Amino acid sequence: MTVDISEYRGVWVFVEQHEGEAVPVSWELLSKGRELADETDEPLVALVMGDGVSHLAEEAVARGADHALLADDPVFEPYRADPYGEQFRALVEERKPSIVLIGGTHTGRDFAGRVAVPAHAGLTADCTELAVDDEGLLLASRPTFGGDAMATIKCPSHRPQMATVRAGVFDASEPLDEDVDTTTAVEEVDVVVTEADTLSTVIERVVSDVVDITDADVVVAGGAGCEGNFQPIVDLADALGGEVAASRAAVDEGWVEPARQVGQTGKTVRPHLYIAAGISGAVQHLEGMNDSEYVVAVNSDPNAAIFEHADYGIVGDLHEVLPKLTAMIREKQEVVA
Amino acid sequence: MNDGWNIVVCVKQVPDADDVTIDPDTGTLNRSDAPAVLNRPDQNAVESALALREEVGGTVTAITMGPPPAKAVLQTAVGAGADGGVLLTDRAFGGSDTWPTSLALARAAEELDADVVICGEESTDSSTGQVPPGIAAHNGWSQLTYVESLEPRPDEGVLVGKRDVEGGYERVAAKLPVVVAMEFGANRPRPAGLHRKIFAETEFEPVEWTAADLGIVDRVGLANSPTKVGGMDTATPVERERVRVDDVDELYDHIMEVL
Ligand SMILES: Cc1cc2nc3c(=O)[nH]c(=O)nc-3n(C[C@H](O)[C@H](O)[C@H](O)COP(=O)(O)OP(=O)(O)OC[C@H]3O[C@@H](n4cnc5c(N)ncnc54)[C@H](O)[C@@H]3O)c2cc1C
Repeated sequence: MTVDISEYRGVWVFVEQHEGEAVPVSWELLSKGRELADETDEPLVALVMGDGVSHLAEEAVARGADHALLADDPVFEPYRADPYGEQFRALVEERKPSIVLIGGTHTGRDFAGRVAVPAHAGLTADCTELAVDDEGLLLASRPTFGGDAMATIKCPSHRPQMATVRAGVFDASEPLDEDVDTTTAVEEVDVVVTEADTLSTVIERVVSDVVDITDADVVVAGGAGCEGNFQPIVDLADALGGEVAASRAAVDEGWVEPARQVGQTGKTVRPHLYIAAGISGAVQHLEGMNDSEYVVAVNSDPNAAIFEHADYGIVGDLHEVLPKLTAMIREKQEVVA
Repeated sequence: MNDGWNIVVCVKQVPDADDVTIDPDTGTLNRSDAPAVLNRPDQNAVESALALREEVGGTVTAITMGPPPAKAVLQTAVGAGADGGVLLTDRAFGGSDTWPTSLALARAAEELDADVVICGEESTDSSTGQVPPGIAAHNGWSQLTYVESLEPRPDEGVLVGKRDVEGGYERVAAKLPVVVAMEFGANRPRPAGLHRKIFAETEFEPVEWTAADLGIVDRVGLANSPTKVGGMDTATPVERERVRVDDVDELYDHIMEVL
């Protein structure tokens, strides 16, 4: 199955939202999408799906989209893969976008595969770099094998060219001039799915405010070495005015909430200072923290891999090292105050 | 449905991630010297499949797509307790990206009359996480990804999954047939029973299906893969100071310096 790729035009950004609130990565993609659209000289389109979410379509326009497509219907709240996928597929078939960007969240990655298959689109997962080449072909790059290599994926003869993109790697677009009339650029589209056709039902959804560790200047991360006691991590983060983060091992044990996980299946952080305590330095963890400016490692095993990836390392028990460090920092703060 | 569910578990053979090296001259991955193992997240998928069978009855069939040696991961699944295994093997599959791969698995799941297809969250070698939604999309089935735990409701013909979502969780009831991606680490995989393991290694033979058996010869392989690897760069390794400090005072000084 080949398509006439010249029929496909435009950069689409999926604005992921839950209960009327946009997920930050959506705005990050919108600013990156703006760049790509300018380079290819094609329109930037925001796709908003939900129930009572016209304000987000307007906001997308205010943040730089040329126009917004709005699929507004109770069937889209809360998110479910099948109605979202079906609606998106209908829109792609009808309007033929060239590039489609979706946030690399659990929702985005759940949904992207649901769209790419019926469209026979090329889909690149969890990208950290996006560019277009001379012919306007999307170059979607992603780390493989723990960030030791970057693979660049293209899809030369299928459309759309789809990518899910990690949160925190691009800067979010800011709303433009508030006086601009954004409503005219919003187009309500036909909703092609009905509740009766859906295959799933959300019985319960329990979410609290999601912490965002991707913006933090200082991150103190704990791993399996914490052995159930995260207090030294929390205290140090507090003293440094930073955020608490964790390795997957610590998250799996339930010591820390998943939103604070750093790594391949967690978040990418880019702080000025990253302190890794009781973390061995597995490739999947390193992938999420390699962009930190300074890395400090605290580990009782002198041969832990993390020391190879740290600027300053100390061999020792984190339950002793961290409280001492925290006390010294607090002391200094008192002197200053 | 009182005779149980047809549970299919998808498993993949991957190079042991710790042993993959990058050729500094060509920038390509040296996978050949890495021993092949069962993709770690798939162990959670196998465990959920077996646990589900215990609850609702039925059978667990492991499937994998790969060259003949990939049979080893089916043996692992059978050793752990799966009832049987299917190997999708054919030169025609070579070079398949997630689109044709999920098509082949979807066709096999249909062939096996699956009620539930369980996959791991993602594979450690390509880590796209796209195959489970892909299988569901190819067949028009429901899907549950990032699943922490499962609660079958056979009388209603649904499977309820507790899904990990940003900032919390949700519980979603999905109609059968359904494709599930279990979250990595969601459960503790049971060890293989000794007798079962011996059986898997000595007597068990997988059923083998080709692309022709599945009726998808001209829809798989490199030619039907929308994505192409356009290049592989060795990422410039982040240069770190790698200074070892002896005591907390020194560490404190360094931290104050960089802040
Ligand atoms: C598909 C897949 C995706 C993954 N995604 C991620 C991801 O996103 N993020 C992630 O982090 N991991 C991820 N992992 C898991 C990863 O492979 C490692 O298992 C994990 O990072 C290990 O966490 P850890 O370093 O905390 O634990 P361990 O590897 O167990 O290391 C604990 C460390 O603590 C040290 N230690 C123990 N006690 C003390 C003490 N008292 N004081 C100081 N040090 C101590 C030990 O020496 C050891 O080095 C993934 C794995 C797979 C297969």
